[in-house]
Amino acid sequence: MLIALAWKNIWRNKKRSLIILTAITLGIWAGLFSVAVMIGSWDTTVNSTIDRNLSHLQIHTKAFKDDNLISNYIPNGPVLADNIRKLPQVKDVSARVLIEGMASSPGSSGGANIIGVDPEHEKNVTTIANYIIDGEYFSGIKRNPILVGAKLADKLGLKLRSKVVLSFQNIDTTLTYAAFRVAGIFRTESSMFDGSNVFVKQSDLYKVMNNDRIVSEIAVRLKSSNDLDSTLSQLRGMYPSLVIESWKQLAPELELTYQFMIVELEIFLGIIMAALLFGITNTMLMSVMDRVREFGVLLAVGMKRMRVFFLILFETAILSFFGGIIGMMLGSFTIWYFSDKGIDLSLFTEGFSAWGMPSILYPALPLSFYGILTSMIILTAIIASIYPSVKTIKLRPADAIRTYG
Amino acid sequence: MALIEIKDLTKIYDDNAFPVTALNKVNLVVEKEEFTAIVGPSGSGKTTLLNIIGGLDKQTSGIIKINNTDISKLKTDKMIDFRLHNIGFVFQAYNLIPVFTAKENVEFIMLLQGISKEEREKKAVELLQAVDLGDRIDNRPTELSGGQQQRVAVARALASQPSFVLADEPTANLDSVTANNLLDLMEKLNKEHKMTFVFSTHDARVIERAHRVVTLRDGRIEKDEIRQNSKVNAT
Repeated sequence: MLIALAWKNIWRNKKRSLIILTAITLGIWAGLFSVAVMIGSWDTTVNSTIDRNLSHLQIHTKAFKDDNLISNYIPNGPVLADNIRKLPQVKDVSARVLIEGMASSPGSSGGANIIGVDPEHEKNVTTIANYIIDGEYFSGIKRNPILVGAKLADKLGLKLRSKVVLSFQNIDTTLTYAAFRVAGIFRTESSMFDGSNVFVKQSDLYKVMNNDRIVSEIAVRLKSSNDLDSTLSQLRGMYPSLVIESWKQLAPELELTYQFMIVELEIFLGIIMAALLFGITNTMLMSVMDRVREFGVLLAVGMKRMRVFFLILFETAILSFFGGIIGMMLGSFTIWYFSDKGIDLSLFTEGFSAWGMPSILYPALPLSFYGILTSMIILTAIIASIYPSVKTIKLRPADAIRTYG
Repeated sequence: MALIEIKDLTKIYDDNAFPVTALNKVNLVVEKEEFTAIVGPSGSGKTTLLNIIGGLDKQTSGIIKINNTDISKLKTDKMIDFRLHNIGFVFQAYNLIPVFTAKENVEFIMLLQGISKEEREKKAVELLQAVDLGDRIDNRPTELSGGQQQRVAVARALASQPSFVLADEPTANLDSVTANNLLDLMEKLNKEHKMTFVFSTHDARVIERAHRVVTLRDGRIEKDEIRQNSKVNAT
């Protein structure tokens, strides 16, 4: 009957109850959606970085990490890559040659990271093939095809089939030149990446270098990112002399971004909770003040103070429960809708691409967050009702009954 | 047999700059089955006396015993519990729970007493029939007239099977016919069910029907008149 009374009391002032219900619903909806956008944007950035060039794990020599010279290659690199490729949790491995050199067109020249890859393996490890906006992935050009980043292509005035001369210091320190022809131009989410990288076939590079044993970097793509830490330990055990790092160590800024995002989230949710807390306290206080005489009568006829306290708590709890359900349903639907369609941020793409962020965000929220966030907001609502409840049970029935309202 | 014993009861309101003595050494004994009206002009201390008898307010000094229990010594929750089991209240403004039906209003007191659902439903209907509202049990207060609401309030006051009913100006908001009907009802309950009633009132109709009239003035008992129809022989 106490719950029935609470339920009936809620609907005495429909407008006021609907305001509380809406506040809780919007609080939960905004909380869920904003957390999903933040987590989704981080996920998208991480995945995009992994997909673009990092992959899950990378192997280098310690000397290469200190000084990325061509001479600091991985001993027996091709054999090592083959062995790692055979591990069951590994999807594929790309053994790369990395050289810092120059790219020159008839009109201009600029510094470039020359990445020599086996196109077939690279395709399984990164998604660079999907970023081709003009031309094709290493096809259409018979001899020495090259993929050039869109920003670098702009800088050098390159178009499809344009000739590019790459120059770099060979392993024997001699300056080596080789002519390539643009087979494809790629544009990733990172304009920085597009302005400094070119991809060539490893076999073409080996011919120019007159050496087919050089592997500067082994990029490992796993079937599932859940195996990241275990594979990292396994590989470190297998190759103790090499530097083996996961994407977290390779791109520490992503981890930093994650930490920053968590702080941002906490502040944002704190603001939502505080607004909700004061909003509900105020509305419940008004609701209680309107019924002072009635509470005085309840206390006079024999309703214990704790029961009166719980009556007000129940009223808020019922509203919070329904607000929670509606908010969660709305939030889930919004997240589900945008997780499929994405949120198009192309208006800001220029700004975002400088940070390596994709222009379409896909909100994502781990299942556990739904429960945590909803409980937090319902709890906030219930906390908000404590002050009005305490104020009520402190009423003196003799005074309260004389109140008109 | 003394139901309410009041000795040297004094109440001074000292919340303001000038303390006000609302009751000044009041002595009163109310026996069981009495039908007593406490009368007096505004500010004479009627409501204060009723509030203290009902345990809704505390006296400054003096003793008040109900059924031999010194209620001034009871802590807040004990006092609430004491009221629930011993005192029935009827207020001037009826003060029913607006979201409950007549039956639910009567049932609610029994719920607080922990009585089972079946028993309280049965008893609520019986009580509403006793106050001639058997056909309005499912109506909410807003669907009832003032007189009907006050009848529900009487039924609610009786639901806890109290030792006595305190009624603060019960007829003040009612027209003559309705007020007389209510007084008939209360008198009947007094006669047939031996229920003790203590009223505070200005209403001449109530005073006329009361078996005992206690007149207060300036916080003191000015007159204590026992009528012929009273069950009480002397005070």
